[in-house]
Amino acid sequence: MNSIKSLLSIGLLATMAVIFTACKDDSPAPDPVIATTTTDLAADPGTGIDPNNGQPTGITNKFTLFSFKTGEVVLNADSATTKWDVGFRRTTIIVNGGTSGSGAAGAIVKSGLFDEILEAPADGYAVDDKNSTTSKYAIPTGSGNGWYTYDGGAQVIKPTAGKVLIFKTADNRYAKVEILSYYQGAKTNPVNTDVAGYYTFRYVYQPNDSKSFN
Amino acid sequence: MTLRTQFAKPLFCTLLIISQFCVAAQVSTDLDSLRTRQLEEVIVTATRNERTMGSLPMPVFLVPKAQIKTMGSLRLNDVLTEQTGLVVVPQVNGQGSGIQLQGFNPDYTLILIDGEPIIGRYTGSLELSRIAIGNIKQIEIVKGPSSSLYGSDALAGVINIITDRSQPGTNGNFSSRYGTNKTLDLSGDVSVTKDKLGIYLFGNRYSTDGYDLSPENFGKTVSPFTNQTFNSKITYKVGPKTDFSLAGRYFKEYQRFNFEVTSSNEQIKTSGTGEVKDWNINPVFTHRFSTKLKVIARFYTTHYQTETNLSLDNDGSPYYHDDFEQTFTRPELNGEYFINSKNIITLGAGHVGETVKTSRYGDENGRNQWTNYAFFQYEWLPMDKFTLVSGGRFDSNSSYGSQFSPKLSARYEVNKRITLKASTGVGFKSPDFRQLYFNFSNSAAGGYSVLGTEIVQPRLAELEAQGQIQSYLFDPTLIGELQAERSVAVNVGGKIEILPSLTMEVNGFYNSINNLIETQAVAITTAGQSIYTYRNVNRAYTSGLETNVSYPFARNFTLSAGYQLLYAKDKDVVQDVKDGNVYYRDPNTLVTKRLQPNEYYGLYNRSRHTGNIKLFYRHPVTKWEASARIIYRGKYGVGDIRGNIQGETIPPSDRNSNSILDVYDDFVKGYALVNLSVAKSLNCGLRFQVGVDNLFNYTEPIYIPNLPGRLMYGSVSYNFSKNNVKP
Repeated sequence: MNSIKSLLSIGLLATMAVIFTACKDDSPAPDPVIATTTTDLAADPGTGIDPNNGQPTGITNKFTLFSFKTGEVVLNADSATTKWDVGFRRTTIIVNGGTSGSGAAGAIVKSGLFDEILEAPADGYAVDDKNSTTSKYAIPTGSGNGWYTYDGGAQVIKPTAGKVLIFKTADNRYAKVEILSYYQGAKTNPVNTDVAGYYTFRYVYQPNDSKSFN
Repeated sequence: MTLRTQFAKPLFCTLLIISQFCVAAQVSTDLDSLRTRQLEEVIVTATRNERTMGSLPMPVFLVPKAQIKTMGSLRLNDVLTEQTGLVVVPQVNGQGSGIQLQGFNPDYTLILIDGEPIIGRYTGSLELSRIAIGNIKQIEIVKGPSSSLYGSDALAGVINIITDRSQPGTNGNFSSRYGTNKTLDLSGDVSVTKDKLGIYLFGNRYSTDGYDLSPENFGKTVSPFTNQTFNSKITYKVGPKTDFSLAGRYFKEYQRFNFEVTSSNEQIKTSGTGEVKDWNINPVFTHRFSTKLKVIARFYTTHYQTETNLSLDNDGSPYYHDDFEQTFTRPELNGEYFINSKNIITLGAGHVGETVKTSRYGDENGRNQWTNYAFFQYEWLPMDKFTLVSGGRFDSNSSYGSQFSPKLSARYEVNKRITLKASTGVGFKSPDFRQLYFNFSNSAAGGYSVLGTEIVQPRLAELEAQGQIQSYLFDPTLIGELQAERSVAVNVGGKIEILPSLTMEVNGFYNSINNLIETQAVAITTAGQSIYTYRNVNRAYTSGLETNVSYPFARNFTLSAGYQLLYAKDKDVVQDVKDGNVYYRDPNTLVTKRLQPNEYYGLYNRSRHTGNIKLFYRHPVTKWEASARIIYRGKYGVGDIRGNIQGETIPPSDRNSNSILDVYDDFVKGYALVNLSVAKSLNCGLRFQVGVDNLFNYTEPIYIPNLPGRLMYGSVSYNFSKNNVKP
């Protein structure tokens, strides 16, 4: 039997050598995170899920308004002011500009890496345009159009990798945002039973009259 | 008496009784069978002519009948799944099984029976379990494009199943096998040769109870089915120089199934029936004008038909109906001319006519297509050490235009121990009928429509006039005529004798594929349903290395090992990654990062590593046979699959919504299957076999529904032979 074993190993040697040399894996070094991160910003998550139709229950249909300057949520009572820059309701994001608000805010959805976008573009900022016939938002809605992709297999909303949202704020300042998660607790691998409607995002806000994000 | 003592060991006690009978019938051991047959194996697929394996300059493999019998296989997929570089994969809808060769999807390998194509690629790939293998003499596998001889579909390679023909005298074999899942296989063949006439008949009946990998769901993973196969081959020597043969096949399968469908958020139980029928007939005349010129004329006709009906369990009302019918005819004339022993020419020409009728085209009219073709091949053998085969084929098709597919292969014997081989060629695959003519709306699965390229524009115009189009996702005027998918391939390798009788075969391959046909979403209806059509878009490559080592390390023992390394990638994605335009989300920090070129894993459903280790034992005197085989398939990714298995949604691998498979995605785990078999033959013609496939009962219900759990079986066969040839 020993001779059989040793012969077996000779026979395998050549093929195994190929297997092992081909299995090398490089993992990239992690980047330092320099941005401010807002976690679990509730965007009208509702109170539960209707088991009959899969739709959320107890929703208010109100946007959660946010100011980059303060890094805080702004009360809905102030929706007519320029105190807020962006608003979140489920997967829809509005800006304080156009038909959504009285401010000067606008947005660009840019492909690239958050850390590599060092300057806000001079122009090209879209504003919300919602009227009785069409709903056009500065950040387009729908899977694959704006900031997220709907994974039909896993039935979860995933922020599209490589999409950075550049905002002009309500008072003509600039901010860049990367949305990291749409689920409570910002789980690394969300499943469809996780609670949806909670934004976790990182951002850099330029408080001065400059387009630089350095 | 020796027979009696050997019989004390086997598992069946009934054997004892039979052995009594056998001792009486025992004849002296045939000494001739002790001598190892040194005859070189002959293969026909690579050049369309009978050539010895060793003389061929392209990568060819052969699975002989003896090996198939020792393995205890029943259907074609059982045999192919154990061959190096061949991976049996589920079809698009997750059911059934097709073959992946050199990283190509199943619809890119041409599958032939005695050189004639099997039709019925209903969803693209061919259901391999349709082919019973009880009447197979050998299976020939040619890797690399062979469109130069066979035309469309032979991009990855050709698998040719050579069936038995009548042997001298009267011979017959009957076998029965019973195993797990109430699987019963009854097979028989009879061969009679009398003077100029030879008749070979084969019949098979296969029935199974199916299996259920997820019993918590309604219905079985594979529902019970029964099928019958009949084959016949009549040969007649018309004259000293003329042979005639008539081959025929008839196949019928019937299946009953149950499953649950979701309709407006309601689960409805349904039951249905599926029926498949195919037949073919092939008269062939072979005439030798001289020792130098042989001409073959044939007229192949085949028909395939399938029908599915589904009705609701609660009120019995019909819920779904689907039918498909295909006819294929091919007259062909080809000749082989030996100018001398160093120069051989093969020429051929033929015509293919095809008709498809299906409920999925929106009407009951047949769609027709024809192809005229001609091919040539020149074999140059200037010396024993060197062979050069060059050839090409021209195909002119009624719907996709013309194709020229050349091929060049060379072989050089460096010395007694080393032989080098290299070949390069072009392969193509014509757009199939569904890509041209589909007019199919699926209201059952979420609602979508697929329109073939021939009808997409008029249908969209119609829908627009009716105000049913909400928006266009792709400019419909840009959808042109579909082109054939094309590949250019290089195969380089050779055979090395490391030790006396320890041989290693190596083949490196690179396939560059253009014009791949993909589904393209064109529009969304006002009801929110997507409309898809087809487009030539993708460019891809598959490349890798295959090695096979075989070593008869002791008398009657052969150990072999095979391994395939595979890289299969979308060229446009490779470029995008290189340009830095592909991102992923770090699974731990959730931060977006740029994907590095080495992090793009490749196309879905391809394992980088596959391999096998097999041990065969065969004793010519005691007639014991045994085998132990380990088949390994490495991890692979799963794309977005339309449809589901038994109501289970198949989660795609892509975790980071960049629509490509990268190293951060989820993979289906690699797995190894262990198969064992033992057989004993008696001199009186009886043979007993027991075996177990998938010994460790490995299953993966969602991703690999075509892999049943452990299968145990026992079989008995009886072989008789009466040599009545006059001396």
